[in-house]
Amino acid sequence: MRSNTVGWLMLAPTIAILAVFGIAPFIYVLYVAFHHWNPFGADPLMTYNGANNFRRLVFDREFLLSIAVTIKFAFFAVVSEIILGYLLAQLFMREFPGRGLFRTVHTLPLIVAPIVVGSVWRLMTTPSIGIIPYLLKTWFGYDLNIGRDAGAAFLLTVIMDIWHWTPLVTLTLLAALLSLPKEPFEQAQIDGANRWQIFWHITLPMIRPAILATVFIRLMDALRTVDEVWMLTSGGPGAATRYVGLHIWKIVFPKTDYGYGAAISVIVLYLTLVMCWLLYVALVAPRQKKEAE
Amino acid sequence: MMRQSSPILYLVFWILLSFLTLFPIYWLFVISVKPAVDLFTTPSLILDTVYWNNYVKVLSNETIRRYMYNSLVISTSNAALVTVLAFMACYALSRFDLAGKENIFFWTITNRMAPAAVFLLPFFLLFTQVFTIGDWKLYDTKIGMVLLYCTFNLPFAIWTLRPTMDGIPKELDEAATVDGATTWQVIHEVVFPLARPGLAVTFILTWVFAWNEFLLAATLTSFNARTITTGLSEYVTTTGTEWGAMASIAVITLIPALIIFSMVQRHIVAGLTFGAVKE
Amino acid sequence: MIRKSGIGLAALTLGLLASVISAKADFWSDAGAKYQGVVLHGVTESTPPSNYIKDVLAPEFEKKTGIKVEIETTSWDQMYDKAIKDMEAKTGIYDMVYIEQDIIYAYLARNFLVNITQSLKDDASLKSPDFDETHFTTFANYFKNADGDLFGVPMEAFIKVYLYRTDLFNDPKIQEAFKAETGKDLKPAATHEEYTQIAEFFTKYGKDNGLELWGTTAQAHTGHPASWYEFFESVAPTFGVYNWGIDAGNNYAATVANGGQMNSDKAKAALKYWLHLRDIAPPESAASTWTEVGTTFAAGRVAQGLVYGENAAWIASDAEKSRVVGNVGVALPPTDAAVLEEVKGGTGYLGYYDGGAFGLPITSKNKEAALLFLQFIGQDSVQADWAVAAPRITNTATYDDPKVIEMDKQLNGYYSMLKNEGKLFAGAPPFPFHAQVREATAPIFYSILLGEIGPDEGLDQMAAKAEEELTNLGYRK
Repeated sequence: MRSNTVGWLMLAPTIAILAVFGIAPFIYVLYVAFHHWNPFGADPLMTYNGANNFRRLVFDREFLLSIAVTIKFAFFAVVSEIILGYLLAQLFMREFPGRGLFRTVHTLPLIVAPIVVGSVWRLMTTPSIGIIPYLLKTWFGYDLNIGRDAGAAFLLTVIMDIWHWTPLVTLTLLAALLSLPKEPFEQAQIDGANRWQIFWHITLPMIRPAILATVFIRLMDALRTVDEVWMLTSGGPGAATRYVGLHIWKIVFPKTDYGYGAAISVIVLYLTLVMCWLLYVALVAPRQKKEAE
Repeated sequence: MMRQSSPILYLVFWILLSFLTLFPIYWLFVISVKPAVDLFTTPSLILDTVYWNNYVKVLSNETIRRYMYNSLVISTSNAALVTVLAFMACYALSRFDLAGKENIFFWTITNRMAPAAVFLLPFFLLFTQVFTIGDWKLYDTKIGMVLLYCTFNLPFAIWTLRPTMDGIPKELDEAATVDGATTWQVIHEVVFPLARPGLAVTFILTWVFAWNEFLLAATLTSFNARTITTGLSEYVTTTGTEWGAMASIAVITLIPALIIFSMVQRHIVAGLTFGAVKE
Repeated sequence: MIRKSGIGLAALTLGLLASVISAKADFWSDAGAKYQGVVLHGVTESTPPSNYIKDVLAPEFEKKTGIKVEIETTSWDQMYDKAIKDMEAKTGIYDMVYIEQDIIYAYLARNFLVNITQSLKDDASLKSPDFDETHFTTFANYFKNADGDLFGVPMEAFIKVYLYRTDLFNDPKIQEAFKAETGKDLKPAATHEEYTQIAEFFTKYGKDNGLELWGTTAQAHTGHPASWYEFFESVAPTFGVYNWGIDAGNNYAATVANGGQMNSDKAKAALKYWLHLRDIAPPESAASTWTEVGTTFAAGRVAQGLVYGENAAWIASDAEKSRVVGNVGVALPPTDAAVLEEVKGGTGYLGYYDGGAFGLPITSKNKEAALLFLQFIGQDSVQADWAVAAPRITNTATYDDPKVIEMDKQLNGYYSMLKNEGKLFAGAPPFPFHAQVREATAPIFYSILLGEIGPDEGLDQMAAKAEEELTNLGYRK
């Protein structure tokens, strides 16, 4: 057994950086969350107001609505991205001409900055003069107006997210697939397993940690998405795409309601944590049980 | 079934899919080569005339070049730092029997969950009032951004690398240790080569996250360390958005990103020779 | 193109100017001598007027005084966030901040800004002979406190005007068709009824003739406060509902029940009028902020509309961005006859007078040098070229400059209107809570736009919400 000191030393820089830039700000935000603080209120100073901010948000319809649409958004976006991303990663495992080129092509969306993605999609979908509404109208006679149709706007944000982030899933899962050992697959083929059986009994269990990591990353990023949606819809029409990251942004930036914004952030952080923890337990526990058997 | 699908079929599939993937990027290019006056008329899929003025304007702008340089330095340093730290951390998590390591592992990811808006304030205070030496502040420095981006990139890197690291059979490094290899040799000669695809992917993606980050950079830099994404937002103003200039910068920023990608791609492909799964 | 050559030209003239007056030298180099090595930092929005400060005035100032000026230009919301964080945390990063007219009251309430008048009195050695507060237009009054002391040097000012297409309005065939349809002569509308009639006519005309043409613009984004602004700043006042219908003298009442106007019958009539216009405006209006309204007009898709002054100039003159150059007429926004009386009597206003100033945060560590720079950009001598490069006027003398008069012709009298009728327009109400109440009530406004609630009921809810927010903020007791 090697000395654990080496292990701790290797972890130390990570822990140090995250403690300074992660924990310290969090404590500050937690502190602010228990205060009334709006620099442009009649009383601009930070005053302690107990759990009032938290009490207020339980009855805040806008906030609850925003949580609901965010979860809906994250669910549709992440599920589609994982399925699509996995399929693409599998396809990239095969030999075909121009594979390198296509892999580059399919990572391109990643390198476009979110604010640019939002801008381009906004121009593409401007009612009646964007290329997408224009084509939909001339080809199918369908009138797409993201200023008026809440469902369409929601769907567009989901599609935009899928377009932008599926390559990330593909890349991480591709890396996972590439590092799998060959033997179990060869063995399974010799044993005459079919494709589905191989996927279900061999591939999936082996890449489950990678899938889990990818789901986590995508889920938490989708839950706090701001830039793209801000550029595309500004949260509209109405509250249809006012996702919680954007909602907080509106409370903290224009409204300068720091106290309430901090309370919402703490709650959102907590909800995200719980959601991820449940997922973690659900996906990791059965594996560990199996291993124990 | 699966062995029969012909390469042509794949090709057709990939070409179709590439159209979808490329369309918004193509459109970005279209916007960048149109004068503003042509943007709000009946659109056409095909580009008939090309107008390079946006590029001329942008390329002759010294500030934009400086932003681009800052972005390159910040994202490359951050990605390198994060990849190294995450590699070390994952090796520790995977190979040592550390007390509470699973909790530490989970804790790292929580640092990525925070909605950024509210955290800007404590970051601002940290950067302007805590991390200062005399007149020097961490605020508006490249090193500040490199460190700050670790908060969301390190958790990501640790979580994407961990499965790779766990997937490398422990028996390999144990065998090497038995043969008398030091920890460093084990890492360098056994683990590192096997983790290369994972490391490459981690590097690329952390680089991308740092390259694209907007909100933190907008708040915590001002003259010296401003990045290209914040430069892009300068074109969104109350007197109208300068779509053309913005799009042309965006197109230009694709180039360094593509270069970095193709440089690192090799290492992902390198993995193919080792553990390729042929179904 | 105009803008670009404008800046080049301006730089050239400034250079010439500098060499001419350097003989008389020189307050600036003397005053600057004490502050060698100082670097001033400013933050502002990246608009043409601000870019002119950054690209032309700041280098010029440095040449004369030896004081380096770095101007950070960024997006609108970023600019505010950065300035507020800096002043709130007392970091002293910025020596100059852009103050939009609508936030000055909030900044003054917080004592964020240095009293420029007083400071120049206190230290006469800093006072430039070429800077005179009385040379500013009345717009400067927005940046003064009760004693008439100045807290910001105006650097841009605009009015939101009624633009119409002269080519369409003067087309005999169209005039004839309009006459046949309505029995009236086609001319820019003076009242709401006329405006609606013209809008309906052109929307129908566009449809009948297969043209991409509609009768009016509408800044009616369903998720962005631009729509809220268009209603409260530009439409409601023309119906006699001022200051968003909030009565500052009456405990900040918003509801009619408490003495406010936000849900008054006039406000409801205004909203219905505007909603109807929105319905006959081009389809993109539901996703239009001020940006898209400008581009919609510039693309020639509408016959008339209310457009921010920032955009009026380039729409009328910049062929690289606009298809309607030379065909843009300027008029006062249509209004009620009764309101026009109120406006002329000085109790009301009929549109939005916006703009901004540069202020000096009290947290600045280089106040003296910053004062010099603020005076530098407030001088009469730099104004005309600035106005040509980035159409805005803040000093009265600027109107009489030949270059500006020439430009006024190109803009079909926009500057004349600013000069002569500017007094009929007003800035945002003097509330220290601007964005707070806007953001609190905007979601309900979006619901109205989407038809989720009726306009009457919606305005009732908004008024109640405004009072609730004001109570929460501590202004309403």
